Amino acid sequence: MTEQIAGDFLSLLSSQRVPVLTAERAPAVSNGGTNAPVQTQATTVFAFHYNDGVLMAGDRRATAGNVIVTDRVDKVIDIDATSILAIAGVPATAFEMARVMQTSFEYYRRSQLQNLSLPAKVRALARLLRENLPMTMQGVGVVVPLFAGLDTQTNPPQPLIFFYDPLGAQFQAVGYAASGSGSGTIRSILSYQEKYGSPKPSEMNLQQAVQFTLRLLMTASEFDAATGGINPETNTYATIKVLDADGVRTISAEEQSGFLKGR
Amino acid sequence: MNEEPYRWLEAVENRREYVREQLKGGSPAFGVKLPDGILLVAIGSGNSKVFELFDRHALAALGHPADIEKIRQAAIDAAHMEAFTRAPEDVSLRRLIGFGLSPQLKTNFEQIFSAPFLIEMLLAELHNDPANDVLVRLHFDGSFEFATTPVVVVGAHPEPEKAAQTWLIEQLADQTDRERIIDTLLQAWWVMRENKSFAELPSEEDRRNGWREATKDRVLEIGWLDRKLKRPARFVWLAGDKFGAKSEA
Repeated sequence: MTEQIAGDFLSLLSSQRVPVLTAERAPAVSNGGTNAPVQTQATTVFAFHYNDGVLMAGDRRATAGNVIVTDRVDKVIDIDATSILAIAGVPATAFEMARVMQTSFEYYRRSQLQNLSLPAKVRALARLLRENLPMTMQGVGVVVPLFAGLDTQTNPPQPLIFFYDPLGAQFQAVGYAASGSGSGTIRSILSYQEKYGSPKPSEMNLQQAVQFTLRLLMTASEFDAATGGINPETNTYATIKVLDADGVRTISAEEQSGFLKGR
Repeated sequence: MNEEPYRWLEAVENRREYVREQLKGGSPAFGVKLPDGILLVAIGSGNSKVFELFDRHALAALGHPADIEKIRQAAIDAAHMEAFTRAPEDVSLRRLIGFGLSPQLKTNFEQIFSAPFLIEMLLAELHNDPANDVLVRLHFDGSFEFATTPVVVVGAHPEPEKAAQTWLIEQLADQTDRERIIDTLLQAWWVMRENKSFAELPSEEDRRNGWREATKDRVLEIGWLDRKLKRPARFVWLAGDKFGAKSEA
């Protein structure tokens, strides 16, 4: 048994010998090897500040090579009442990271009788990415997520956006961040809108921000086959969550439909 | 001593008396099943008697703070391990208590050369259907009962606990107003604390004034497992301010 760190769920798992994202579980193949599985990946997820908080969104398509696996994946995930994660990369690893974070943050809150601080949450994700390094280096488990959390040290609490590299380096985004195969398009438009647009994303109200988000995804899907976009005719919308001083809220398909029509 | 079993039995009995004696001054805790959720009420010093364990699970206890902390931590560890290795839906009090806490408490209680746990507990499990809600009374020696009543009292001694429970079941029958329920629970808390008899109760006004006076410098801990919440974690703290007491919320 290893020594357990108080409130640390990963060390509890380790003390019980439950493996999580460990190197020994990684198959001994390299990217492109003859035995390498076709990876389910490619995505567009992004987050930006609007006037009430942070909006985080993602398309819902999962692809494996040239095959569309499904158009119903939720890539933006509530981690707890004040933090959200957007996943880009290999879903098998990314969803496991989300599950570890969800359990870890709640475990800490319940066992230590206080919330985990935002810097600790940001580092927890960096730690998971670092622990995934063997999979990343073999090219079969790359994850490049976005994270948004509420900084409760400020008054009023401020939602902040963070992005990561596949090795676990963390960066705070000033205005916006994007990840996945369609992120180039999104970044260009967000940069343009922030510099020359009116209103700037940071000045948009919720309706404007959601409408802008849906248009961004429609544009990204025109240039990236792996981005699902949205389709009002089939009631296929994006996954959109907002984080403000009150916590996380999901914008439903009905709300998105209304906002898109300008209602 | 190993060659003399009757001395072991005597030692266990002494131990039982010792635990009850140590728990004598403990402040009672209460659990009530309601249509919208499960209410846990206790008077403590803040984060000291009522606790969230998992998404749909909570604990109310009286006893030594260090022992409450050990059991609470063991329950949280077991619940989160179960949820992570299987699924949150698989966390159940039946398994948590029957295969985890109860054997641990029993083993500890019967090891007569180690310090016994000074603790009495009530555990709650919320379901989507109120008929499936669970309240379990877990004792310091590992014995436990799944409650068949809508109200459960955790006291230091069985007799006043039973008397309070019987009185509360009668008083709270068909009562759904949470504020009135909490007021009634606190009246029972005061009666137990003052060692008064439920057969010859002081007037309602005296009981109400009594608990208000007695809780002035203490914290009213009110936990609520909310059936209507849409998020996985259903536990919330309710503000006790409106009752004129300090509040955990």
